[in-house]
Amino acid sequence: MGKDLIQKSLKDSLFTGIIALALFGPIVGLRTVAKNEVLVVEPKWLVVLLIVIFCAVGRFFINIYTFKKEQRRGEASSFGKAISHFLDEKGSQIAIGAIAFSIIFPFMPFADRYWMDIAIMMMTYIMLGWGLNIVIGLAGLLDLGYVAFYAVGAYSYALFAIHFGWSFWICLPIAGLFAGMFGILLGFPVLRLRGDYLAIVTLAFGEMIRILLLNWYELTKGPDGLTGIPRPSFFGLPFKRYPDEGVETFHTFFGLEYDPMQRIIFLYYLILILALITNAFTIKIRRLPVGRAWEALREDEIACKSLGVNPRNTKLTAFAVGAMFGGFAGSFFATRQAFISPESFTFIESAIIVAIVVLGGMGSQTGVVLSTIFLIGLIEVFRDFESYRMIAFGGAMVLIMVFRPKGILAKRKPTITMGKHG
Amino acid sequence: MSNTLLDVQNLTMKFGGLVAIDDLSFSAKKDHITSIIGPNGAGKTTVFNCLTGFYKATAGSMYLNKDNNQMDLKKFSDFKVAQKAGVARTFQNIRLFPQMSVLENMMVAQHNKLMVASGFSILGLLNSRSYLQKEKEATEISKYWLDIIGLTNRADDNAGDLPYGDQRKLEIVRAMCIEPHLLCLDEPAAGLNAKESAELNKLLKFIKNDKKTGILLIEHDMSVVMGISDHVVVLNYGKKIFEGTAAETKNSPEVIEAYLGTED
Repeated sequence: MGKDLIQKSLKDSLFTGIIALALFGPIVGLRTVAKNEVLVVEPKWLVVLLIVIFCAVGRFFINIYTFKKEQRRGEASSFGKAISHFLDEKGSQIAIGAIAFSIIFPFMPFADRYWMDIAIMMMTYIMLGWGLNIVIGLAGLLDLGYVAFYAVGAYSYALFAIHFGWSFWICLPIAGLFAGMFGILLGFPVLRLRGDYLAIVTLAFGEMIRILLLNWYELTKGPDGLTGIPRPSFFGLPFKRYPDEGVETFHTFFGLEYDPMQRIIFLYYLILILALITNAFTIKIRRLPVGRAWEALREDEIACKSLGVNPRNTKLTAFAVGAMFGGFAGSFFATRQAFISPESFTFIESAIIVAIVVLGGMGSQTGVVLSTIFLIGLIEVFRDFESYRMIAFGGAMVLIMVFRPKGILAKRKPTITMGKHG
Repeated sequence: MSNTLLDVQNLTMKFGGLVAIDDLSFSAKKDHITSIIGPNGAGKTTVFNCLTGFYKATAGSMYLNKDNNQMDLKKFSDFKVAQKAGVARTFQNIRLFPQMSVLENMMVAQHNKLMVASGFSILGLLNSRSYLQKEKEATEISKYWLDIIGLTNRADDNAGDLPYGDQRKLEIVRAMCIEPHLLCLDEPAAGLNAKESAELNKLLKFIKNDKKTGILLIEHDMSVVMGISDHVVVLNYGKKIFEGTAAETKNSPEVIEAYLGTED
């Protein structure tokens, strides 16, 4: 058995090496350099050789330690399984710990401007992930255009705040409402679609919204973007060093020195609260009839119909609720940046959010947090390496899929148990 | 006629040039188990799909007598047949929600009732006491049915992890959770062993006698059909070739011909 496995793995890794050679040979091996104003091809075969060896050897070890695992008797317990078991056992303690940590985070000694910005960005992605989790994880509708609702939320917030001067707390629900309406608007034409077809249409919807924002110059200022979006204030107290005459600011009211970090910390808590609301809402609604109907619809739509569950309303509520949270996150994004343009709402954003949900484990709230930290964290750590960070991003996805093919946390907890009542 | 639960007249279903059901008329009584039998491809499942709104019948009429109220089933589309008219069905290939627990399957079947109780989620989000009460009642109903099929101790396991026979039974009691007037069962005994089909017979008799729910049954297993049917309708090539009691059906030359072919 063992010999057979090694033989097979060797064959497989040889094949991998050939593919790597075919791919990296031309891409890495042949480089054009300008010498004396003439373009010369400069071969770099040593680098190619190293890459090919790395791929082949790596493939060999992956083969032996993960793919062909079942052939090695009784050694099934892998690293990933141990982690997920640990997370299942201590789930609630970890969640409380994580919330406590995120509350004291701004007062940690290392939490400077850079770390706070990353934390705020991660929180935004976590919130988006939780919002999209309703659509993809619970209702099973693969939505590749989620960024459209993020954009609708951001733009409706910005437009209402700029033109009417309404405060953050008034514009936030309006932006959520608008995004929710767009969710229903997308929902209607795709009611009968599922799987790949649904993915294509939602992807197109995301692009349509972006192109609309780009071209409707009178309203959205097109590629110039919207500037001067009002910053949020702390219950009417603005964060400004030199306030207008007679206006009390946050630092004068509390008798503090002015510090630009005060606003950052406030923004951090704002997104933390918004994200936690999203989470609490999702956890609660999953246990309600509509949440159960979403999951049932994901499992079997025909069975749902035979039980009298209205698939149209159920799908539309999933789209609307998911979009609404996307809209909330969008408003936060607008008020944080004070400037938005269609460039912030490209397809790659949707792709990252979908990746967060899928890699986290469909429907798992904790999984979204873990995969956000993993993916966004990696992108940030590799920021100095510029274009290589996307390789790191892709590598992270591959790693998760190799070790946890169903996502980091794939275990689903029932929404109601007999033990509770009987 | 008040004893008639379902009245089907001149039902025809065409798919392009193919006539799947040809001018079929039959009726089912309230306290009866009515079986539809016939060789493969005779159009039995198509009759179910027309009745339960999955197909739109080409011609004919279908009336359900719901508390002496004649309801035209043709007026309802898919999910409304279950929601408004109270016609429940099961499927030839089991359609449970496999990744959801047994109890959750039962709760989804009580969706419409619970949806109203949860104030379309608003009261539910606010943890209203009246909703929690209704949810508890729904759990009690689920427990009642699970006790009958002996699955209460597996209520929190995934439905997809149950043995095949239990999945069949679960699908039937899940359909009963919508409190139907007519229960349509598509080959409930397929793949069951002798002991399991005997249990199934008991369950169906219980539903008929104690729950006063009319049953329409498609079945190939003759021990089930002959054991519990009060009335048998035999289809072949979309046409009704015989109608009568189980004993009459057994001896009917037309039925024997359809199943075994002619002597010559």
